[in-house]
Amino acid sequence: MSANKILIVDDEEIIVRLLSMSLRSDGYETITAFNGEQGLEKFKSESPDIVVTDIKMPGMDGLTLLKKIKEIDIETEVIIVTGHGDIDSTITALQYGASDFINKPVRDEALAIALERAKAKIHIREKLEEYTKNLEQKIAEATKEIRRKSVFQRLLIRSSNDAIVAFDHDWKIVVYNPEAARIFGVKTSDVINKMTIQDLYPPEIADIFTAEANKSPVPGEMPWKEMVLQTIDDRQIPVHYATNVLHENDEFMGIVNFFQDLTEIKRLEKELVQSERLAAVGQTVSGLAHYVKNILIGLKGGSYVVDVGMKKNDTAKLKIGWETIKKNIARVADLTQDLLTYSKEREPECQLCVPNEIVGDVIELVTDVAAANDIKLSKQIDPGIGEVVLDPQTIHRTLLNLVHNAMDACLEDEDTSKAFEISIKTRMDSDNQICLEVQDNGCGMDADTQAQLFNPMFSSKGGKGTGLGLLVTEKLVEEHRGSIDTRSQLGQGTTFIVRLPYEIADAFDTKEDGL
Amino acid sequence: MNKKVLVVDDDPDVRSFVVTVLEENEYIPLVARDGIEGLEMIEQESPDLVILDVLMPRGSGIRLYRHLKTDEALKTLPVIMFTGIALRSFLKSQKALDEFKGGEIPMPDIYLEKPVEPEELVAAIEKKIR
Repeated sequence: MSANKILIVDDEEIIVRLLSMSLRSDGYETITAFNGEQGLEKFKSESPDIVVTDIKMPGMDGLTLLKKIKEIDIETEVIIVTGHGDIDSTITALQYGASDFINKPVRDEALAIALERAKAKIHIREKLEEYTKNLEQKIAEATKEIRRKSVFQRLLIRSSNDAIVAFDHDWKIVVYNPEAARIFGVKTSDVINKMTIQDLYPPEIADIFTAEANKSPVPGEMPWKEMVLQTIDDRQIPVHYATNVLHENDEFMGIVNFFQDLTEIKRLEKELVQSERLAAVGQTVSGLAHYVKNILIGLKGGSYVVDVGMKKNDTAKLKIGWETIKKNIARVADLTQDLLTYSKEREPECQLCVPNEIVGDVIELVTDVAAANDIKLSKQIDPGIGEVVLDPQTIHRTLLNLVHNAMDACLEDEDTSKAFEISIKTRMDSDNQICLEVQDNGCGMDADTQAQLFNPMFSSKGGKGTGLGLLVTEKLVEEHRGSIDTRSQLGQGTTFIVRLPYEIADAFDTKEDGL
Repeated sequence: MNKKVLVVDDDPDVRSFVVTVLEENEYIPLVARDGIEGLEMIEQESPDLVILDVLMPRGSGIRLYRHLKTDEALKTLPVIMFTGIALRSFLKSQKALDEFKGGEIPMPDIYLEKPVEPEELVAAIEKKIR
């Protein structure tokens, strides 16, 4: 739209006509009025783009007309034609929003310039209006797009299988998705903008992240790591986690954490180990059958000897037979326990105990058998090991098993000139760990046998072994988070070294009190 | 005169069982705990029959048996193999050893698989030395 319609208001008719003629020849459309009232009427009916009005007119003067016009349409360009030195009315006209002033007598050039200016203003305003309108539309579109993107991102974060937790630069939680709520067990509404890193994470983890963020140079992505997460409601969840420290223009913005719940994976892993173990028991069945047959041979033989003893009233015979039976009953009991221990999950039952005393108990149990086979038993205990928190069962059965193996290794040795000896040592290891050592100078093992030691199907003892002994020992030690090492040389002997971590008695007491 | 029977077995339960069976049937029992002791006993006591376990530490029954069967003086000493090893496995192992060492060792006269009833054991002994 071009501003083409001009209303000319002046009480001097001749001036109005001259101006009108001049403007028409310049291509404008003109409307004329000879006083204020008429001017206002024409303004209302014709809606001109520009008004040129004289100030001094009888009746409604130019200033009043200006005021009224501006009341109707504030955008209208009104050019005031003024006499010399009429300062007051000029000021009033300015106050009322006049666009321009030209002096009397009106010269064509001056008017043309004023009109051009007015037209330019209208043009700019129109452009501005158009632009503003465009801008509004663009903003609306952008806002819509931003909203769409933000909804998309929110949905993305919400639907993530990973738990996502993000903190702003004040460590306030700003992102916390449903998976995070599930893992941490705290409702989203209680977390976002309410909790900080210290509220949600256990202190040791919160410290790692806050330290990471303060590192320079700027750390990027931390690799995936594993840990067991202690939640506020006291659950323990094994997780995989990763961290990203967020920066914008080198300024710390916050961090984001990703967590993957490993509970199910851990459970499956456990199940796998369990089924592998059961399969191993299956594999050892033929070996076991042999072993059970040997027990049966013992029981049958023993009961025959008892029969004879009773028939003849021979107490010595009775005693021999009865001992045989008892010994084989014990073997059945041990086998049953080994099978159960091996095939079932078991948590070590840690309690206050004195490992050195257990060594004494074990030696007492095997003294007779050792003496009967000319094997010397000795112990070297570290008096520094007092009362510690360990699973006494694990120590007892591990030692007993290893000592039995050591005795078998002595009996198996073809070099009868040796003075056979088994020694049990205890010593304090570093890092809250005790070390149990069973050493023999029996037949020793070749590399092949050593390699197969912990294989389920393997026994070096023929029908005299179940193949379960070291498997059970290994499992007990593993469940206790300990380790077993073997040193052996064929013909020289074998040493088994078992390391078990323990808690000191004081710490355990405190812990108990805290419960 | 009562005959001497040597039982060579590393398992004390088996030894006491066999000794009791022998005593009950008026044999003189002799015992050895392994192959090496067994050979010493045979040389010292000249038993009339040997009841021999197959798998033992220190000089297994297999080694002692081959020794006996290749020794001119001891060749005729009757041997009863008395073991938990199945006969089939034992025969296979002996055949493999024969091939490896050359020559052929006669198979044992009587092979008893544990466990056995006392009567079975007595019948086997009587078959050889009465």
